[in-house]
Amino acid sequence: MTMKQFSKSFLAAFVGAAFLVGCGEDEPAVHPKDSDSQAFISQYEAQSYHPVLIRNATILTATGEKIENGSILFADGEIVEVGTDVDEPSDDDLEVIDAKGKWVTPGLIDVHSHLGVYPAPGVQSSSDGNEMTSPVTADVWAEHSVWPQDPQFQLALAGGVTAMQILPGSANLVGGRGVTLKNVAGRSVMDMKFPDAPYGLKMACGENPKRVYGGKGQAPMTRMGNVAGYRKSWIDAKEYMESWDNYEAGMGNGKPPKRDLRLESLAGVLRGEILIQNHCYRADEMLVMMEIAKEFDFKVTTFHHAVESYKIADKLAENGVCSAMWSDWWGFKQEAYDMVPSNVALVDKAGACAVVHSDSATVIQHLNKEAAKAMTSGNQLGMDITPAHAIKWITINAAKAIGVDEQTGSLEEGKMADVVVWDGNPFSVYTKAEKVFIDGALKYDRNNQFKQPVSDFGLTNIKQ
Amino acid sequence: MNILLKSLAILLVTVVSSAAVAETILIKNAKVYTQTSAGILENADVLIEDGLIRNIGEGLSSDDARVIDAKGSVVTSGFFALANQIGLVEIGAVEGTNDAATELEGFGAAFSVDEIFNAKSTLVPMNRAGGVTRTLIKPYNGTSIFAGLGSIMDLSGDFDSVIVSDVAVFAIYGEYAASLNGGSRAAALHDLEQAFSQAREYAENTAAVKSGEYRELDYGMDDLQTLNRVLDNEIPLVVSVNRASDILTILKFAKKYGVNLVLEGVAEGWQVAKQIAEADVPVMLNPMDNIPGSFESQGKRYDNAALLSKAGVKVMFTSETHNAQNIRFAAGNAVAYGMPYDKALAAITHLPAKVFGGASNYGKLMPGFKAELVVWSGDPFEVTTYVKSVIIDGKVADLNTRAKRLEKRYKDISNDQNTFYRK
Repeated sequence: MTMKQFSKSFLAAFVGAAFLVGCGEDEPAVHPKDSDSQAFISQYEAQSYHPVLIRNATILTATGEKIENGSILFADGEIVEVGTDVDEPSDDDLEVIDAKGKWVTPGLIDVHSHLGVYPAPGVQSSSDGNEMTSPVTADVWAEHSVWPQDPQFQLALAGGVTAMQILPGSANLVGGRGVTLKNVAGRSVMDMKFPDAPYGLKMACGENPKRVYGGKGQAPMTRMGNVAGYRKSWIDAKEYMESWDNYEAGMGNGKPPKRDLRLESLAGVLRGEILIQNHCYRADEMLVMMEIAKEFDFKVTTFHHAVESYKIADKLAENGVCSAMWSDWWGFKQEAYDMVPSNVALVDKAGACAVVHSDSATVIQHLNKEAAKAMTSGNQLGMDITPAHAIKWITINAAKAIGVDEQTGSLEEGKMADVVVWDGNPFSVYTKAEKVFIDGALKYDRNNQFKQPVSDFGLTNIKQ
Repeated sequence: MNILLKSLAILLVTVVSSAAVAETILIKNAKVYTQTSAGILENADVLIEDGLIRNIGEGLSSDDARVIDAKGSVVTSGFFALANQIGLVEIGAVEGTNDAATELEGFGAAFSVDEIFNAKSTLVPMNRAGGVTRTLIKPYNGTSIFAGLGSIMDLSGDFDSVIVSDVAVFAIYGEYAASLNGGSRAAALHDLEQAFSQAREYAENTAAVKSGEYRELDYGMDDLQTLNRVLDNEIPLVVSVNRASDILTILKFAKKYGVNLVLEGVAEGWQVAKQIAEADVPVMLNPMDNIPGSFESQGKRYDNAALLSKAGVKVMFTSETHNAQNIRFAAGNAVAYGMPYDKALAAITHLPAKVFGGASNYGKLMPGFKAELVVWSGDPFEVTTYVKSVIIDGKVADLNTRAKRLEKRYKDISNDQNTFYRK
């Protein structure tokens, strides 16, 4: 994996950082890191498919626009043109879809999912999401737990979800790497991996780590223990990164340092290659986490759950940190007590990056409705949020929160043709995804049972 | 109204309501979902007096009524959320605030929760502000296959919130029941049968059991007495069960013991819809759940409610606890997957009242019925619709919540360091 694979905006945030000194802006650094082994790289290939022109649709582009009677043309996996005046290309293979009365949006993206790592059925023998053996397990990768046969992937697809970040659970201070997948069938997780997507590193604040380890009489037992645990890890990571930098600079005895999977992941964050995906509910804790990021010169990309983001929306905007939130979950634990239904809208209003996420195999099927609920709650507070804007919470902002916004998340020329045709306004309880395209290929059609994928396990459950 | 009548009315109000004075309220120009043979009234007024609906029709007037302009709004009965733990749980993971289950051995069917209901819980205003006016609370299972007794409570927030006490016994069957019984469904079924046959023995030999002259029974006397209420058809038995074959097992069991059965969960209910309909057994299910989360729910699907309903089964909906108010979106999902709208509305209003209690004056909008209703900004099942007013017992309910106070405090963030003084 090279630096080129990361979005420009993300790279820009790091080019001035001290640890990149010595690397040209265009020339990637040559430090030995996870990707050097070239193991587990994406083997996903977009399916070749005929060009498609969708006409007469109401299109939400996720750039803030709503186009009535719009058209979208895509070919070879990419969006060619979007607008009201799209010429029909002369191509014998072209499929024209009349979408009168239907709406078109980018494919939905869920930045917080455990599909595959907590598959259905939820039996202990395939419950692989939390490596609860040590508070810092930065060495584990969620993709090595993903069961591609989880039937829940297909349920999410029918909900219009074309990509998702699969994360480890939140038992640990550092739970391991997350992976971004295209919602496609695969015999291995590599077949599903979103090409060139950066890794996420899952961290967790608050109750979970201190409960899991404190309960065993181990550290951390308190929130201060949590923070000590994070800081110790970053000190180790910094030292590890420097030992490699020194080696590359020809210093020392010329022998490469020994690879350490745990520190490789953490150093990847310090180098700006891996994005911090931080489970954190309380406002005060999010501020502490941003302080730690400052201390060790890295960035928190996204706070997850972020139930109290509305209390610090200004600070989140200032620091350019995304919040991935539910529309209304609350009360299941103390740190989720201060939920407000306008959380998403208030974060958005402050100019911070607002994302609606699921953390649930059910909610992932209804992200559009969750966004609608969040929009309605904001409007009840006197805001004037439209579907054209709110769609961003489950598309382009989500893409930004996991570092794939250059490739997908909006309907713009040259981007991946991840496209959903809805049978009506997606901000309605009655509306369903009708057709789902991933990289321009039809992956789901509600009206054609032959275009409805079923995993191996799902064969148990074929309708009788 | 002449002076005499007026003073009579005042007298009546004073007599009827001592806790709080019921208002005279006139809702103007609403779309009223009456759930009676009158159907939907497109532009009607609802007059509320003394806690009751006095009249519904066009062009109603009242001299001293509080008027709610409901132009463009929809009025329905207040929603009835089923089988949650509102008032029993404040924060799920904080043990001291969670009274929903008992781990005590030998205490199951008779575990009753109405008297410990916390009317001042933050969950009450939260769900009330979302249009839920009454709820069926039930315990969940501790160590017994019997969770205990459920009760119907209103969400007025008044200390006396009981509508009907101890309306049903809740039990489970299937994987979880088996795990509480040594790991086999056969043992769980045996447990269920033993409990009811010993309840019969107890009823026939009460004096002897009490005086210790009878053999020792496996269940506590309170539990056996409660199960006799089920055997006497005073209250139904609700069994949570999912696998199609398990549903048939429970139907057979209920028939054998002659009990009124309600099925809960019914993931694979659609596969045996005909048998459920023939047995005339109502079901309660969550129309938002299609996750094949266990081997006993592999057949779960979104149109379960629609298919059961089509087969003639009475379908009700279950809710979660903190957001029981989302039951309306669940109803919307059932409609999206083929359930007729009026049946979905019945599922969260008069049908559960008919099954569990309180139906004599609730669940329909007609003169003489309780004024327990909600004014919505539009279609109540729709995700962009919000609550405008809630009326319980003829009184306009407070829609403020802890969340709304937090919103107010933080909607305009400032660094004036006065955050804590904004209340």
